Formats: sequence, structure tokens, C-alpha cells
Amino acid sequence: MSAAGSSNPEYVVARVRARRGSLYGDEEYRKLTRMGPAEIARFMEESTYGAEINALGSRHGGVDLIEYALNRNLAEQFDAILDWSEGSLYDLIARYLRKFDAWNVKTVIRGAYTDADQSAVEVDLIRAGEFDDRRIRRLLEADSIDAVIEVLEDTIYGEPLREAYAEYEETDVLVPLENAVDRAFYERLLSGLGGDEPTRQYETFLKAEVDFRNATNALRLARSGADIDPAAYFIEGGDLFTRSSLARLAQNLDELVEFIGDSQYGDELGPALRELEEADSLIAFEHAIDGALLAYGDRLGTIHPVSVTPVISYILAKERETENIRAIARGKEAGLSPDEIESELVIT
Amino acid sequence: MFEATNELGNLVLSTGGTLTDPNAAAALAVGLAALGAGYAERGIGSAAVGAMAEDDDLFVNGLILTVLPETIVILALVVVFIVG
Repeated sequence: MSAAGSSNPEYVVARVRARRGSLYGDEEYRKLTRMGPAEIARFMEESTYGAEINALGSRHGGVDLIEYALNRNLAEQFDAILDWSEGSLYDLIARYLRKFDAWNVKTVIRGAYTDADQSAVEVDLIRAGEFDDRRIRRLLEADSIDAVIEVLEDTIYGEPLREAYAEYEETDVLVPLENAVDRAFYERLLSGLGGDEPTRQYETFLKAEVDFRNATNALRLARSGADIDPAAYFIEGGDLFTRSSLARLAQNLDELVEFIGDSQYGDELGPALRELEEADSLIAFEHAIDGALLAYGDRLGTIHPVSVTPVISYILAKERETENIRAIARGKEAGLSPDEIESELVIT
Repeated sequence: MFEATNELGNLVLSTGGTLTDPNAAAALAVGLAALGAGYAERGIGSAAVGAMAEDDDLFVNGLILTVLPETIVILALVVVFIVG
């Protein structure tokens, strides 16, 4: 509810563990990969997504219905978790969920940039972060990027966006604005974390996520060979890279792969890196990174059973589930075979 | 809080070793055991309510687990009978 008072991990963890039990397992995924979009929607209606499918069923259909139902369910579940938690627990969970605020800000900015329809932007928002409905409404009503920044003036995104706006006006590309949002989010993510053992483990996890994000960005840059300054995409806070080492490594793919292989993540990412060298496929590497994070999250949730870590572990698993279902639905729409779709899923 | 503790200490000293009286010590033992049980039930209770909110069938299990620490108080009551 708020960041004041003592925290209540027992209550939140008990509820979250119960919900975790109802996430889809191997068996359900196998069934889903053999269904068409309409059947997937029916299947979801009979599980935890029932309310959302029913609410949206009259307005949307097919893969869109699945996608919007997933987004709405995700938002509702995460909002509920924030609602239950109190004290320092709220702060720790909100840190991570603010990434949906960042997502929403970016979506709204892109919408304003492309003059998209208000309702088209609205369905793409995931209302799981800290922004309340009023602010989101005002964001949607803003018709220019300048107006969007004005609405965000009193949030952590206000100032960085204002600074990046000048650069945007010169170049007319969105990259500086989106980088400003990302950076504001990641700066807030790791600042002033407390010192007890579960929180330190949580911090390690967050740092791993930042490291992986940097690693994928660097790999993409190194692969594409584009003439972009890698340092501009650098996210502070990780252990693995510094701004200069990332800039240097992004020039040379082999060196970068070797560097990641020798790091503390080498054990988890080793097989994926070898595959990257052989098959030259970034997708497999990105799946391996997601899988490694998810496995880490699972492990995290069992070491300190009554702390923030099981909650984060659930949040990760839930996010993964929606991404998997989305991949199945989109894959079906594109006419992929069940085997191809299964290779796109990240299941632990 | 500290003043109250001080006063209690003075009282104990002036009345001459109240806590060495077996009955008082037994009463204190039961009281502390109850306090411990209460603290344990706080965590279990909130977890049980959380689980029940997700699934009504867990009511019986939750109730049983919540009152389990009460056994500590019952065991502590044995002290009263031994001393008294």
C-alpha cells in the first residue's frame, strides 16, 4: 500500500506462492502450441485469465484479444502485489515494477511521435507500475512530446527527459529520449538498497539483469557493425562492464564473447555463447540470457523463503509466462509449426 | 519505556527478590512463552490469511498451522503445576 511502516513479507509471499502454482507448466505449453488462436483464448478463459478474456472479448478478437488480455492480467496481478505489500517490501517491489512505468512512458512518447490514435496507444500500456490512472489519462491526452514531458515533470523522468528533449529537437530521433527514460529507471533501481542478506541477493539479481542488458546491447552492436557509439547505450550499475570497456568490446565480437565467457556468468551462458559462435544466431543467446535470469530467480526464491526474493521470483515467472503465450499466439498467427514455436519458448 | 524498567527494577530490589519466589518465576515463564507464541503466530497467521485469500480450501490447514505455537504455552503451563 505504501512505503511507511513495517513490511509484511509473510502475507505477500503466501499469496504469491499460491498464484505461482497456477502458472502454466510444460504440459499446458505443449497443449497451447498445438492450438489455434481462438482455442488459445478459450483455454486462457478457463484459467486465471478468465476475467480479462471476458472483459475484452466483445471488442477484440484473435491474437489481439490474447495480447491485450495478457497485458491487462499482468498489470492487475502486479498492481495487486503492490497493493498488498507494505513498508520496505513495497519499496523493493516497486523498484522493479517501475520498469512498466518506463515502458509506458516510452510507448506514450512513441505514440505522440507517430501521431497514433489515443485508443491504439492505450491498449499497449501495461498499468503495472506506480503511475496512477489519473497520470496515465493525462499522459494519453498529451498530444505532443513536449506535453508528455510536462505531465511527467514531478516524476523521476521529468528532468532527464527535459534535458534529452533539446537533443531530440536537433536530431528528430527518439533514441535520446528513450535512453533518458531507461537511465532514469536503472539509476533509481539500484540506489540506496538496504543491507540485509535477502536484499543483497536481490541486488545481485538486479545487477545481473543490468549486465545482461549491456551484454545483449553490445552483442547487437558488434554484430550489426553499425557506426553507433556503444557508450551511449551503456547502463550504469552492473558489475561486468564499465563504460569504456563496453565501448572497446563492442568493436570486436570475438573479444566480447570471450570476455562474457570468462566472467562470473560464464557457467550459465557458456553453452549459449558456443552456439552463438557456431550458428551465428543472437536469438538463441537472448533466450539463454532470459533462461539464466529465470533460473536465477527460481533459485533466489528458495534461499530466503520469507523475504522479497520469492515475490520477485514470481514476478519474473509471470512475465515469462505472458511472453511465452504471446510467442505462441504470434507464432500460430505467422503459421509456424509447433516445434518451431517450442524453440521460441523459455521454460525452466 | 526505560523509566518504567528502572522503576520495576527498583521495586524488585526494594521488596527483596520477588523473582526468587517460585510462583512468580513460574508466572513469568508462562508469560514469556505466551509472548513467544504470539510472535510466532503473527507471521504464520498473516501467511495463512494470504493463502486463504487465494484458495478457500486452505482454511482448515491455515487454522491448524496458526494455532500450533499455542502448544508452547501449554508446555509452559506444566511449569506452573510442577512449582505450585
